[in-house]
Amino acid sequence: MLMPKHGFSWFAFSAGALLLSGILLALMQLIPVSARRYVIRFLTFLAGLYYVLEFFLPVHSMPTKNDPHAVGNFLTPFLLPIGNYSPVIIAFTIGLGVVNLFQVHSRRLIRRDSETLFSVAFFVSFFAMLIIGLLDKAHPNSINKNLYHLLFDGFLQSLDATVFSIIAFYIVSAAYRAFRVKSIEATLLLVTAMIVMLGQIPVGTFLTHTLPEPFHVEVIRGWILRQANSAALRAIAFGLSIGGLAISLRIWLGLERGSYFEES
Amino acid sequence: MEHANNAVRILLSLFSIIIITTILSARKKHLFIRKIAGLSALEDAIGRATEMGRPMIGVPGLGSIDVVTLQALSILSYIVKSSARYGTRLIVTVPDTSLLPVAQESLRESYASAGRPDLYNPEDVRFLSNRQFSFAAATAGAIMRERAAACFFFGYFYAESLIFAEAGQQAGAIQIAGTPSTTQIPFFIAACDYVIIGDEFYAASAYLSREPTLLGSIVGQDYCKIVLFFLIAAGCIAVSLFPGLGTALTGIFLKG
Repeated sequence: MLMPKHGFSWFAFSAGALLLSGILLALMQLIPVSARRYVIRFLTFLAGLYYVLEFFLPVHSMPTKNDPHAVGNFLTPFLLPIGNYSPVIIAFTIGLGVVNLFQVHSRRLIRRDSETLFSVAFFVSFFAMLIIGLLDKAHPNSINKNLYHLLFDGFLQSLDATVFSIIAFYIVSAAYRAFRVKSIEATLLLVTAMIVMLGQIPVGTFLTHTLPEPFHVEVIRGWILRQANSAALRAIAFGLSIGGLAISLRIWLGLERGSYFEES
Repeated sequence: MEHANNAVRILLSLFSIIIITTILSARKKHLFIRKIAGLSALEDAIGRATEMGRPMIGVPGLGSIDVVTLQALSILSYIVKSSARYGTRLIVTVPDTSLLPVAQESLRESYASAGRPDLYNPEDVRFLSNRQFSFAAATAGAIMRERAAACFFFGYFYAESLIFAEAGQQAGAIQIAGTPSTTQIPFFIAACDYVIIGDEFYAASAYLSREPTLLGSIVGQDYCKIVLFFLIAAGCIAVSLFPGLGTALTGIFLKG
């Protein structure tokens, strides 16, 4: 049942899945909010339990076409089909995102405030991309392909690259503010950054090449990166992993509190 | 697909037992958490935005619905509960459509629990784009146009972290960030006023709510870190004294 379907089976399963989803959504709307939380908790526990068992249970050789050395247990074959539920559920929400964008920008257009021009740009871009994208799929001739290439690679990718390149300038201004000698911590940051930067470039190596080897700037840089920095990052990673485990356990076992998990 | 080896089975089970035990026993005890500067500064940031009469902007990272993003939304909903008392707006920008209804519901509930359901405006939760730099540019634009007085960046961030933080800086906003992405921590430290580092991020909801269950979880995490510290120290000493021990232990514990 979890394997890919084709032809009539595909239509039958798709229609069945849609019908079942509709019934489940209707049922969820009918039951009280407090009961809905228990349903969500139970499903969360069930889904979590599957992944925990799949990860913990002993494994044996389970070769596949793509990976002859693969290992797994009796739950492993269901990983992909069960993992596919997540993108399917997320796909339901794409419409919500579009509706939200339309609501925000159409109200701005109606209000005709200072941001109206941005909303016009949004609608023009949205419909241009939608129409050209559909045309390219339906009639993939050279005109449609070139138009799509112009919009996607010529505009969108170039704009993305432009925004990305701004980071180079932002790094300079952020570093200028952070490295000003205003406290002991900022001074330490400045000195460390200077050593690491000098250690990266030939002029730094040249400046200290007459000193004994332990005082060569590239040696100090290496020590800072490999010993001090790695130790600090690993300590942070240990803390994060245990923190992640704790919050995952709280959500999985229904012990989480606060927004979205509060008892009614 | 990765699977647990014996070392992971033992350690994960042990840590899970420690955390669950401390959570369950937390309600009977008075637990203490040290002061976390970044989280204490949230009230100052809200106060500043209120005084200036300008909105605040919150970004729950670039992740989809996962534990990190849910934690980020938890912090943002705390900010909403606090700011609702003064009628200060929080605008939340999301990069994922699946996050939109969750964030909307979270904010709506927070305003309602603060006794100000009238302040909730669905337009304040905005899906901007699911493309990394389009989202970054749109959020930076929102920070500048809304003249945000405070910016909160909690969740997973990647290369765009500095774009947000510099936009906030240019808008003159007080900025507080917290992320489990270790590669982005230096950028936030350079550009933000306060940064919540490492597992402080996961301690945020406990610190802010003082809910016994969550405080117990934080104490459990600390016990786990103590166990881990002694294990690492004992391992270093043992393999230094008995060089062959490492290979023998690897054979036993790293077995699938």
